[in-house]
Amino acid sequence: MTISMTDGISRRTFLGAATGAWIVGSARPLFATTTLRTGALAFAGGTVHAAGYSLLRSEDGGATWRESIGPDRRLTALTVHPERPDRVIAALEGGGLAVSEYGGESWRKAGTGLPGATIDALATAAQQADTLYAAIAGDGLWRSEDAGESWEFVMDRPFLAEAERDVLSLAAVDLASGMGGIWLYAGTTAGLQRLPDCFCRWQDVQPGNALDALIEGGEAPEMAPLPAGEPVEEPVRALVSPAVAPGALYAALSSGIWTTTDAGVVWRKVNTLDAIALAVDPSDPLALVAATENGLTYSRDGGET
Amino acid sequence: MTLHLSIAAAALSSAAIAETTELRSLGEPVSPDQIQTGEALYAENCTSCHGENREGQPNWRRRLETGRMPAPPQDGTGHTYTHSDADLFAMTKFGIGAVVPGYESDMPAFEGVLADPEIPAILAFLKANWPEGKRRYQAALPSMTPLPDG
Ligand code: HEC
Repeated sequence: MTISMTDGISRRTFLGAATGAWIVGSARPLFATTTLRTGALAFAGGTVHAAGYSLLRSEDGGATWRESIGPDRRLTALTVHPERPDRVIAALEGGGLAVSEYGGESWRKAGTGLPGATIDALATAAQQADTLYAAIAGDGLWRSEDAGESWEFVMDRPFLAEAERDVLSLAAVDLASGMGGIWLYAGTTAGLQRLPDCFCRWQDVQPGNALDALIEGGEAPEMAPLPAGEPVEEPVRALVSPAVAPGALYAALSSGIWTTTDAGVVWRKVNTLDAIALAVDPSDPLALVAATENGLTYSRDGGET
Repeated sequence: MTLHLSIAAAALSSAAIAETTELRSLGEPVSPDQIQTGEALYAENCTSCHGENREGQPNWRRRLETGRMPAPPQDGTGHTYTHSDADLFAMTKFGIGAVVPGYESDMPAFEGVLADPEIPAILAFLKANWPEGKRRYQAALPSMTPLPDG
């Protein structure tokens, strides 16, 4: 059975009192809280944010948490300012954005110009902390250059297997696109795509420079792509890249957590965790937090244990 | 009438740009003659999709019913200036798939329609009419090296 990302999340209980757990590796639960039903995770410096009906924040690797009451709606996506861990930008179920400068203690609505549909994914540009991207269900990609206040439409949705596909997860990857900027990687309902930040065109990950290969008749290296929806549709629910190692990415699919170290040419399944959301420590490519139906897991070795 | 006038004016100002700046197309300095040739070739081959004034198709950031993207502007308001000359040449001669393998688009391949030297002439015309900032952006792209022979 395939369920769409949004349905999948809303049906799951996250950090529920009965099953909720903060787990280090596969060790015993360390933490339980009231129902949160998470939509998103984010790392800001050493701070982990987990968002659902409220915002939880841990500054000590999950040992203790502070819960703040969110805006009046469930949070579906999160992004954070790389140098200001208290600045949190959250997408609201049903549409719109809220910004907190105080780690969720108080919020203000933002998102002028955005259509009133749910934002499935948010990302902060790699080198410009005030440039944000939002992927909107049934619509496309929007960009803000003023930290989320105002927005403009920049790109339609990717077209894959005969249909436009929603972008469910988005990561700014600090690798040169050859077009004067960097890449945005997107997890869709039908596999992975990337887009240079000139918003020229959605494309598959290509090994090396395609034009060089064409001119020199060079052969492309062997690829091992992420499952792209065949034979079973596997939405890419989460996609993250650590700032210190932009060639590294993690993707959450229903089959498990997958990883690449070469910007997406070769992917490998790390585990079979049915994760909903992911976050990776920007300064430690192996410090990975995943949210599943049963709670949160924290891995120090890139999801291996 | 006004149309002809404005084209003449554009040709004049772009010729002036070629003389006063170091505009290059595929590594070679651009001459005013080349720009004029490029303008005529553009009018003949490209306007039907990219627009009389290089403004692109309406609403060009939104997909067509077919799922393909419309033709973007080439006046500097789109993203043409984020591609090196080599890529622009390849996309014009062979289609977008030459740069993004497997990519499906409505951009035709002009191989066999335009002779090789005609393509840099069109690019010279387009570039001469980009705003200065976009020209500089493109000139600074890491991939702005001359094409290898062939
Ligand atoms: C039949 C319509 C059509 C004609 C005629 C046409 N183009 Fe295009 N062109 C397109 C479309 C559509 C695209 C966008 C393709 C995409 O990205 O999906 C495009 C894209 C391009 C691009 C890439 C631009 C960018 O910003 O990424 C270049 C360069 C280009 N065309 C050059 C030309 C030139 C030069 C001519 C005339 C010799 C021409 N085209 C004629 C439809 C056309």
